[in-house]
Amino acid sequence: MPEVPRTGVIHDLGYRPYDGPRNGSGAIAWALFLSGFRNAFGLGRSGKSKVLPFLLLGLNLLPAVIVVGAMTLFGLDELPIDYSRYASSTQILLSIFVAAQAPVLFSRDLRHGTISLYLARPLSSAAYAVARWAALLAATLVFLLVPIIALYVGAVLSELDFWEQTEGAAKAILLAVLLALGLTGIGGLIASVSVRRGFAVVATIAVLLLGNGVVTAVQGIAEVQGEPRIGEVAGLFSPYSLYRGGMAALTDNVALTPPTGAAMTAAYFGVMVLVAAVGFVGILVRYRRIAGR
Amino acid sequence: MNSTIVRLSTQALLGRRRGLVLALIPAVVIALAVVIRVLTEPGTGYEIVDAIGFTLALPLVALLASSAVLGPEIDDGSIVYLIAKPVPRRSVVLSKYVVAWLATLTLGALPLLVAGLVLDSSEPTQALAWALGGAVAGTTYTALFLALAALTRHAVVIGLLFVLLWEGLLGGLLSGIRWLAIGAWGQEIAASVSDAVKAPGTGLLYAVLAATVLTVGSVWFAGDRLRSFTLRGDE
Amino acid sequence: MATISLDAVSRWYGNVVAVNGITMSVGPGVTGLLGPNGAGKSTLIALMAGFLSPSAGTVTLDGATIWRNTEIYRTVGLVPEREISFGYLTGQQFVLANAELHGLPDPGAACQRALEVVEMVEPAARRIGTYSKGMRQRVKLASALVHDPSVLLLDEPFNGVDPRQRLHLMALLQRFGAEGRTVLFSSHILEEVEQVARQIEVVVSGRHAASGDFGEIRRLMTDRPVQYVVVSDDDRTLASALISEPSVVAVGLRPRGGVDVSVTDLGEFAHRLPRVARDARVRLVELTPTDESLESVFSYLVGR
Repeated sequence: MPEVPRTGVIHDLGYRPYDGPRNGSGAIAWALFLSGFRNAFGLGRSGKSKVLPFLLLGLNLLPAVIVVGAMTLFGLDELPIDYSRYASSTQILLSIFVAAQAPVLFSRDLRHGTISLYLARPLSSAAYAVARWAALLAATLVFLLVPIIALYVGAVLSELDFWEQTEGAAKAILLAVLLALGLTGIGGLIASVSVRRGFAVVATIAVLLLGNGVVTAVQGIAEVQGEPRIGEVAGLFSPYSLYRGGMAALTDNVALTPPTGAAMTAAYFGVMVLVAAVGFVGILVRYRRIAGR
Repeated sequence: MNSTIVRLSTQALLGRRRGLVLALIPAVVIALAVVIRVLTEPGTGYEIVDAIGFTLALPLVALLASSAVLGPEIDDGSIVYLIAKPVPRRSVVLSKYVVAWLATLTLGALPLLVAGLVLDSSEPTQALAWALGGAVAGTTYTALFLALAALTRHAVVIGLLFVLLWEGLLGGLLSGIRWLAIGAWGQEIAASVSDAVKAPGTGLLYAVLAATVLTVGSVWFAGDRLRSFTLRGDE
Repeated sequence: MATISLDAVSRWYGNVVAVNGITMSVGPGVTGLLGPNGAGKSTLIALMAGFLSPSAGTVTLDGATIWRNTEIYRTVGLVPEREISFGYLTGQQFVLANAELHGLPDPGAACQRALEVVEMVEPAARRIGTYSKGMRQRVKLASALVHDPSVLLLDEPFNGVDPRQRLHLMALLQRFGAEGRTVLFSSHILEEVEQVARQIEVVVSGRHAASGDFGEIRRLMTDRPVQYVVVSDDDRTLASALISEPSVVAVGLRPRGGVDVSVTDLGEFAHRLPRVARDARVRLVELTPTDESLESVFSYLVGR
């Protein structure tokens, strides 16, 4: 029997690739940002993952609500707690929030390997990293800004001096943004380097709270010893002490060994920006390395 | 107690990154003590032994250690290889506990002694008191966190909430918390050794009893959970 | 004689029933646990290995309940589907640790033997983190063999294993079965089960769909015609002669030669075929059943 020539044929089943308009990588990054932001609060995930963020958010908001309530009930003519001081008082809640939710945004994809799915799309590793970073930043900002806004609204509606309140709130918002940038950088970097979630959480808490505790101790001792300069320098080494220093510089609030002199004050703000930048760049580098593998 | 499990857990605990952070925490505490001592006179800044070493560093070390010996293996199910063996599960848990416990003692409680002595070598009793209180608190913390690790994947966050919110934030506001706070019990024991330590006011007997009950109960509970360990299938 | 018995075992998670009233007995030899994904194979193996408790019914090994009974691990070796995550250990250390945990009198020698069986002696000094998937699978198997178990449970052992290692693994399992051990492995790939196990247990949607030799099962499926191919020297004549037989329901001519025959009554057909051929003066060259394969059994059972 003659050899039948082998042939192959591709059947036309009517499949047509999509060649309509496609959104650019900007839209992809935006979608990633949005989903990350929602995930940070457990929205779009199981019910259990909503418990922690909303619990922390609620606890964080509680004092603000109480204050506003007290103001309306007792007709106070001044906010019992200043806008900027609020974040300083609730730093434990904020630290837990960042430490617990940064791994949700960064470690999860790395741990389970789904990062390769993301990077297989027309999405550069830098865009992915920025989208995740922005999502964590936005979540942290929500955490920080909602109480400030609540206090502001309460104060304005209680007919406290409008411009004074606006000025106070604006300064607090500026400081909050700087703080959020720093915390996002730190939390995101740790979470993207250490893929085991529990480890990332403890490491972030250690850096944030332990670091803050150490700096505060040094500042306290420096103040007592009459060497405030040492305290000022020590204050450069923790996001929270940087925040307090900036707060003391901008507002009338009192802090331990606040920065004195224009140079030191500039240094405080400079380091805040630096920490944010280093964290951000670190995350970019980390993801570039991952993508390169 | 099983020596193989001890060996494996120790290797898991001291694995590169985790071992580094684990050692870094007490190093920071001691370094701080040294810096303070060098720049000031003896006795200044003794508060850090309590505020930073006992209240913060010790529970963090306990949390890190206990979640390292049990957490990852349960999380991804590879603990199956360790427990599909004719070794009583309680023995497995006990061995892991001992490893985490020793880590907490050396890297959580011992640094308290060292820091205290560095800050004020003329008051060894006070340093010893903190170390002893830290040892007891650390023992209980480790047991509790181990039980949490055997119970849920979110053990670390829950442990943190317990230490920072319950004992820390609320404990500072409501004095009744001291009856249910491991840190308070440890402090009570420290106060019984040295007058320089302020006693929370639960009484030594209660503190010792509560710590013992919680420790034993937690380890027993973790063992029980492991006996009923369930492999989650694809379903 | 190590036999695992399941007696009316059910397991449910809330509203989802993963295993539904299964009674089966797994004895010496190689048994294949077959079923589509999500059928409950992993659940069954977890039940048999003591890592899941039945919601109803009993799971026993030679009469002893398996759940919460660590003694059974003296005779049972488990190769789970899960990856080993002890990446910081070398293969040697891992298998040795397993040997020690079994309380073997000479763990080093047992470890060496097990590594030899799976042919992992040379890479054993490297860390597991550097292994390929197939190598990890073999180390897992070594760790399960180290105490010479009489029962071996393997959950999807051929998953992600390359062809050469697959052959090796199949040969190993057949050898163990021949030695009288009770070997149970699960798979959803028919060819694997077909080549290694003659005894199969089919599980579909948590129910025990069939059990036994798959050839026998095929014969039990009497409401479906059996297919044969008959090759002869005059197909058309044979075909027209066969269609008039009462046991034949359909014939078809193959383009390259041969006649497809659908038969409802096997015995009658076997009796009649030679006579029909002789009467039609057609020489028969070849007679082959075309669907006594696991695939046809399987698709029949799944489709039911």
